[in-house]
Amino acid sequence: MTPPGTGAATLQHEAIGRTDPDAVDATLAASGDAHAFERLYRGHLSRISSLTSRMLGDDDTDDVIQDVFVRAWQKLGTFRGESAFGTWLHRLAVNVILGRRETLGIRRRRHLDGDAALETVPSRRQTPEMSMDFETAIGRLPDGAREVFVLHDVEGYRHAEIARMLGLATGTSKSQLHRARMALRRHLER
Amino acid sequence: MTDAWTDRLSDYLDDELDPAERAALEAHLLHCVACGAALADFKRIVMRARALEDREPDRDPWPAIAARIGVDAGLGPTADPRPARPRRRWSFSMPQLAAAGIALMALSGGAAWLLHPVARTRLAVQGAPPTNLGIPAAVRAPGRGYDGAVADLERVLVEGRGRLDTATVRVLELNLAVIDSAIVQAARAVAADSANAYLNSHLAETMRRKLELLRQAAALVSSVS
Ligand SMILES: [Zn+2]
Repeated sequence: MTPPGTGAATLQHEAIGRTDPDAVDATLAASGDAHAFERLYRGHLSRISSLTSRMLGDDDTDDVIQDVFVRAWQKLGTFRGESAFGTWLHRLAVNVILGRRETLGIRRRRHLDGDAALETVPSRRQTPEMSMDFETAIGRLPDGAREVFVLHDVEGYRHAEIARMLGLATGTSKSQLHRARMALRRHLER
Repeated sequence: MTDAWTDRLSDYLDDELDPAERAALEAHLLHCVACGAALADFKRIVMRARALEDREPDRDPWPAIAARIGVDAGLGPTADPRPARPRRRWSFSMPQLAAAGIALMALSGGAAWLLHPVARTRLAVQGAPPTNLGIPAAVRAPGRGYDGAVADLERVLVEGRGRLDTATVRVLELNLAVIDSAIVQAARAVAADSANAYLNSHLAETMRRKLELLRQAAALVSSVS
């Protein structure tokens, strides 16, 4: 008789290797497996962290990242595997970030006075010796334009979805994206 | 320099113009150097946005998260080296091509990680469970029939599961659940686009994978008999 452990290990590797390990970990984590949840966390941390700091235009996002993963842990039972875990987590993160933005009142003067704020993005003429860091330029966009730019051009959402998420008209999402690109254009080296 | 067309360039790049507007803008682009330059810059911006690297935060938030959800942060995850995962939701093809291409990439990965909104919408509207209509005949009836073969193997597994340790049974059931979910997704995609040869072969492949897993499982059961 073959020891069951050997066969199981082989089977586990072959089968899981060809399917989505996240889906397996999500199932395990939903049943309380903290190791599985930490694997999910490690696998998605950089993506969620980058999304958070880009969306909020701020690097000090520790507590928002915490909120995302705490919420994910609490909501794992609602993950049905209809989309990839990463897609589910990403959408949850966007919701947490948007909720947080409202709480913190991050829609500050830049949002109200967007055109003036665009001018606060230093132009290449002011820093001729080097092109401005692209991340920094994104971070200095007005909130509305930055959020749409991050969701559309960085993350790949379509305008209809962005409009739903942000509570905007689709046309507003499109015009904010265009504003963002026009502002960023001034800071690209030719 | 901007003109009346400049503000339409983003919509053009994102394939958001109707055919008449697109044709008019393309005619304009033939002779407007300023709009051509702006469009080229927008393309570069989009490419740079897509190429941005994700970065981990300076401090690892895990200890704080672990404390908040009431688990021990000190154990560390069990070793699980994974291949680098695809990032985000788009491909590097331009938007006009993406709408046609990304659904296939998403499904060929066996996971919806890359699933583009276009593809996801198509899956989402197919709310009904898949039927055999979407399942290629070649898979549905290889020899005495796919369903029959699956049923046979599942019976072997049910009867033999008592001989396997619980960890093995759990791994098997998880994997079967994952594959069943992949089959549902693939079948829905086929139902939405039944003429798509790629989707059909992907569904067939996913179903073959299930059959293979069941065969391995059955072999495992008999090996411990
Ligand atoms: Zn022009």
